[in-house]
Amino acid sequence: MNFPTLNRRDFLYGLGSTLGAVAMTDLLAKEKPGPLAPRKPMHEAKTKAVIMLFMEGGPSQVDTFDPKPKLNELHKTESKRTGTLEQGYKFFVGSPFKTRKVGQSGLDMSEHWRHLPEVADELCNYRGCIAESLNHPEALFHMNTGSRLGADPALGAWTNYGLGSVNQNLPGYVVMTEMALPQGGSRNWSNGFLPGHFQGTRLRPTGSPILDLQSPAHKTRKHQRQALDELAFLNQRHMARHPGHADLATRMESYELAYRMQAEVPGVIDLEGEPEKVREAYGMNQKETAEFGRQCLMARRLVEKGVRFVQIFSGGWDSHDYLERGHSSRIKSVDQPMTALIKDLKERGMLDETLVIWTGEFGRTPDNNRRGGVYALGRGHNADAMTMLLAGGGVKKGAIVGATDEIGAKAAEVAHPIRDLHVTLLHLLGLDDNKLTYFHAGRYKQLSQFGGQVIKELIA
Amino acid sequence: MKTFFCSLVCFPILLFGQDKAEQNKEGERLFSLKVRSILESKCFACHGAEGKKIKGEFNLTTREGLLKGGETADDVLVPFHPEKSLLLTAIEWKDEDYEMPPKENDRLTEKQIAQVRRWIKLGAPWPNKERQKKHVLAERSKERTEDGVILKTSGGLSEDWTYRRYKDEDVWAFQPVKKPAVPKGAHPVDFFIDKKLKTAGFQGAPVAHFRALAKRAYYDLTGLPPTPFEIYQFRLAWDKDPEKAWSDLIDKLLASPHYGERWGQHWLDVGRYADTGGYSNDYERSNAWRYRDYVIRSFNEDKPYDEFVMEQLAGDELWDQQPKGKRDPELLVASSFLRMGPWDPAMTLVPQARQIYLDDVVNSVGQTFLSTTMRCFKCHDHKFDPLPTRDYYRMYAAFAGTQLAERPAPFLKSENLVGLQQGRSATKRLLAFATEKHNALYNKQEAAARKWFEARGKKYLDENARRSLPDEEKPPRLVGLSPVEQGRKKVRRQDEWIWKRRMERYQPMVQGVYNGPTPKSLNARSMRMPKKLPANQKLAATRILLGGALEAPDEKVTPGVLSAIAVPVSKNEEDPYALPDKLSDRRLGLAKWIAHPKNPLTSRSIVNRVWQHHFGKPLAGNPNNFGAKGAKPTHPELLDWLAADFVENGWKFKRLHRLIMTSQVYRQSDSHPQTDKLALSDPNNDLFAYRIPRRISAEELRDSLLKATGELNDAIGGLPVRPEINMEVALQPRMIQFSIAPAYQPSPTPAERNRRTIYAYRVRGQADPFLEIFNQPNPNDSCDERVSESVAPQAFTLLNSSIMSDRAIALALRAQKEFDNLHLQVKRVVQLAFGRVPDKVEWERLKQYVTEMQAYHAQNKPVPIKYPTTITRSLVEELTGQPFEYEEILPVFENYHADKKPADVSVNTRALADLCLLLFNSNEFMYVY
Repeated sequence: MNFPTLNRRDFLYGLGSTLGAVAMTDLLAKEKPGPLAPRKPMHEAKTKAVIMLFMEGGPSQVDTFDPKPKLNELHKTESKRTGTLEQGYKFFVGSPFKTRKVGQSGLDMSEHWRHLPEVADELCNYRGCIAESLNHPEALFHMNTGSRLGADPALGAWTNYGLGSVNQNLPGYVVMTEMALPQGGSRNWSNGFLPGHFQGTRLRPTGSPILDLQSPAHKTRKHQRQALDELAFLNQRHMARHPGHADLATRMESYELAYRMQAEVPGVIDLEGEPEKVREAYGMNQKETAEFGRQCLMARRLVEKGVRFVQIFSGGWDSHDYLERGHSSRIKSVDQPMTALIKDLKERGMLDETLVIWTGEFGRTPDNNRRGGVYALGRGHNADAMTMLLAGGGVKKGAIVGATDEIGAKAAEVAHPIRDLHVTLLHLLGLDDNKLTYFHAGRYKQLSQFGGQVIKELIA
Repeated sequence: MKTFFCSLVCFPILLFGQDKAEQNKEGERLFSLKVRSILESKCFACHGAEGKKIKGEFNLTTREGLLKGGETADDVLVPFHPEKSLLLTAIEWKDEDYEMPPKENDRLTEKQIAQVRRWIKLGAPWPNKERQKKHVLAERSKERTEDGVILKTSGGLSEDWTYRRYKDEDVWAFQPVKKPAVPKGAHPVDFFIDKKLKTAGFQGAPVAHFRALAKRAYYDLTGLPPTPFEIYQFRLAWDKDPEKAWSDLIDKLLASPHYGERWGQHWLDVGRYADTGGYSNDYERSNAWRYRDYVIRSFNEDKPYDEFVMEQLAGDELWDQQPKGKRDPELLVASSFLRMGPWDPAMTLVPQARQIYLDDVVNSVGQTFLSTTMRCFKCHDHKFDPLPTRDYYRMYAAFAGTQLAERPAPFLKSENLVGLQQGRSATKRLLAFATEKHNALYNKQEAAARKWFEARGKKYLDENARRSLPDEEKPPRLVGLSPVEQGRKKVRRQDEWIWKRRMERYQPMVQGVYNGPTPKSLNARSMRMPKKLPANQKLAATRILLGGALEAPDEKVTPGVLSAIAVPVSKNEEDPYALPDKLSDRRLGLAKWIAHPKNPLTSRSIVNRVWQHHFGKPLAGNPNNFGAKGAKPTHPELLDWLAADFVENGWKFKRLHRLIMTSQVYRQSDSHPQTDKLALSDPNNDLFAYRIPRRISAEELRDSLLKATGELNDAIGGLPVRPEINMEVALQPRMIQFSIAPAYQPSPTPAERNRRTIYAYRVRGQADPFLEIFNQPNPNDSCDERVSESVAPQAFTLLNSSIMSDRAIALALRAQKEFDNLHLQVKRVVQLAFGRVPDKVEWERLKQYVTEMQAYHAQNKPVPIKYPTTITRSLVEELTGQPFEYEEILPVFENYHADKKPADVSVNTRALADLCLLLFNSNEFMYVY
């Protein structure tokens, strides 16, 4: 793929700065497309935007959506499974949760999912994904960037590279996290070797949503405008001395875009304008769900405004011990908000065009080792099986795709590595992994690293 | 899906002018030499590999299979009729339902398609194995055919690979360096560049303005701008004798200690320097700074490149060979190169952790020294280059005994140890705090445990002693602690580890390597060399891992080097590319081969990098990849001339810089009289017709700010320093395994903070957002070229960050201290930022702006800034899902010498600082011409 190089725009900057600034901004916006300009998909596709709910730590499949009665029979008996990290004596751990079939489609959900059953028939539960990595950062990198090394472009970066962004005044790829960054930090939403425009922009949970988005309090917007006009004056004269150097104009333009973003971003993230009813529906009035609810509502607003890819990281799923307490509280924190998100998207007619994904970086084991010398009722990391939910954007509704073995240890049916999942996600967005390539360090690189296949079973 | 009708009968049609026997012979030959391997490599994986499910019910491995067709069509192959054969439609991608092979990257070339077409046209003969072999053998006996040349290597996994042919232009890098002649009196750089320019009908741009030249030379050689006075001095000399002035300037800058900082940075980009190990723990590599300083020192001392190579690859082996008592610790420091990649074996089985390390180090060595991406032939023979997977594992074997350890190595006289004592006591305090907190919780737990034992009338056993008891015979884990305390105990224990580890910073140690067997367990928290290594160690043989998988070991290999370049390392004629098997000599053998004067990859690789950093673009477009898929050199003769000359003259960098910089090409202006014409015919400036301006790098930006404000402390080397970074990021919690990493605490005084950026503490898991946004590379990946695109968040940083505000105020204060009226203050700040005085129009307008801002700031009061001395962390205990809080101390802010903030300075200073901020934001400040 090639991007058009930006035109020289000296004639526009020649208008004289103060008066010209507004007109110039307008003209530039209408002029030739920048790297984030929207582009046509490679093939027809329903999905226009993605909201990825990333459950950092690795949710347990058997305690959420993939119940295994057999495991309860084996509870506290010795496990001789090998090839896992845990060494020494291992024992099986039955699920502490009851489970039931929900919706018309009869999806399995453990008891703490109290709200999600309302949208069960919109969901597709995929049980065949194989994470391949056993430790958090590698697995996080793998799920997010297609590579375990943490230096490659993230899924959201590839998506924007392929499709551009509908709203030029907002970043095309937005990331929300808890106060603490997930392991591996911003490498999880990096542009890697793709141009910097494609990197994920993190909306910070407190303080300034984007680092240094606004000037300090004693400098007003009017002050900023005047400063930018003075800057344009300096830059214009400089450009006159160095004609033929297109980067100068591009850099001048980036200041105007920044100025527009300063105005647009606070509006999008200000949830005060949302009706109380909506805020309540997302759980923003309860302590346990307030944060994730806020992020889910924000995600909807961002997608509405044309943001292509939104990712929310929610941690605490790494239940090596006290699984009952850990997973029930985690489920509770996301259950109502994500249900509200899916309902809200549907009511607004956005669900068909928005793909919602709920996943972790890997699954959990059916057994555990003794921690500190006692039976710890938790689970280890599982690179061979996991579970995820997909909704909207042209995936099957009310479906279970794939299966794990009888104790949830290994993906057994419709089993695919992460790269196939990535190829499928791109496919749903109208992008072909084999054609969505970028020439870097002497070869064409792609999200799946070396190709993969579409998981057809997931597609409606 | 389209419907395909069966074609009933196919009549062979004679081709004009060729009788049937001849046709058949040509067809058989074509099949044996080309078509068979096309089918085999592009089709068989899905349509016919043995024992696998055949896709589309379609078997391509026999002529019968082809003639029979598949589930959706049966006229796949219609002999003599390519236009009717679906096989051809599919490989041409003419029908979207039949695009084969389905991956864009695997598509057949035009030439391959033509060969298949011709073969069908000739009746699609399919000779038996024996006849195929005859054709193949006849072909192999010819070294060179129209398809290219056979390169002799140690051999691929298949004969097809071993005897495949290469285009000369694709294997240019593997051929010996030939030094072309340069006419007497001509400057070699100008000679080769002009030759090509002339052919294209152009002339080079005229010489640049003296000020542009001065800035160019300062930035290129030191990464710092000249002061206004230095520009003035250069101008005086330039007016007298431009040639001498230029030559003297180059000498002066090459002798500057800042030269090593600038060129060391380029090297560290490729080598992936950081002060931590990355991955989930991101443990500090406490002594990595000694390697950073070794690199800087080596450039400053003009260490011959071949020595530089050998020390980094086998410094420890060279050290072993020195007589006891006279061993040079610098050699151990140099070997830290082998420790630069991100690595942590946590939660990974030992064989996998070793494989991750070895793959990383092999690839790093290949990219860094040989401009060869080794990853490409880890799983299979290289798809495009003469690099068999055997050679990958032979090089892998050279590192098979390389073990990682922090090793003792006395500090050197040349090392800067300023701040060692102070740093030690600051770290001690944080360690003491963590220990105290941990002990309190431990004691509380143990008190409860004691009670538990007493209640049962049993003897008390402490946590360690009771670990192995069965559950019924000991108190529950974390007994007596509330859920909040349980979480805290884990955090404090982790803190204790972290600070203990950081105490190592103050020990005379290096991030080193040694040769030996792989330890039974690996933990990046503490890597130590065993007290005694067995004599005559033997390692298990390295094997080729098929598909790169540990589970698929194949043939054994001995240590060796790349066989495609004809530089043997052994007298053994059977296997001239074998390295000594002895554990203690493997890496040194490899290093000697890499640093061999005849190794064409090494010398081309390094001169290409030097050229790149002088001109903003390399001669060969991918400095880390010289293979067929890398960009070909624009000036191969020049590259070879420079490489040969570099080696002949003792691998000396400073001589090479001088040579390049004294050319007319280097001195060209950025504007060219034929700009528009060149933009059309040579948009990438491959002709080097003019100077490409470059945006300064992240480090140059920060350093230039400090230089302009006069705040720069230009001391050389030493412990990592901690500049102030965005405070939100500094204090923001960062997950590591089991806990949150301690907050980033800047160094306490401006003098410590305002060191050059190369000395800034580099944490893999926490980039300085200021540097990151200006494209400081991610140290997890080798960076052979900085990018510099302009994105909007850069504007946020440059306009609104406190770091920029601090620098703007510092510049304003400097000008106010030097001059007492606004007129001269405005002139001075422009001069310090741009290296020139403002012209009249600018001067008036900028003065007017500051005056307006004075009125503005009189009305708008800033808020004072406070630094916290403690911070409350909240964390969800990952085991229990329970949130808990704990307090972290930030002792540095108890006695912190902050930079002057808006609230600390006058209205007039703030107004002048507004102007300074704009100057720092301007393109004139950001670009070097």
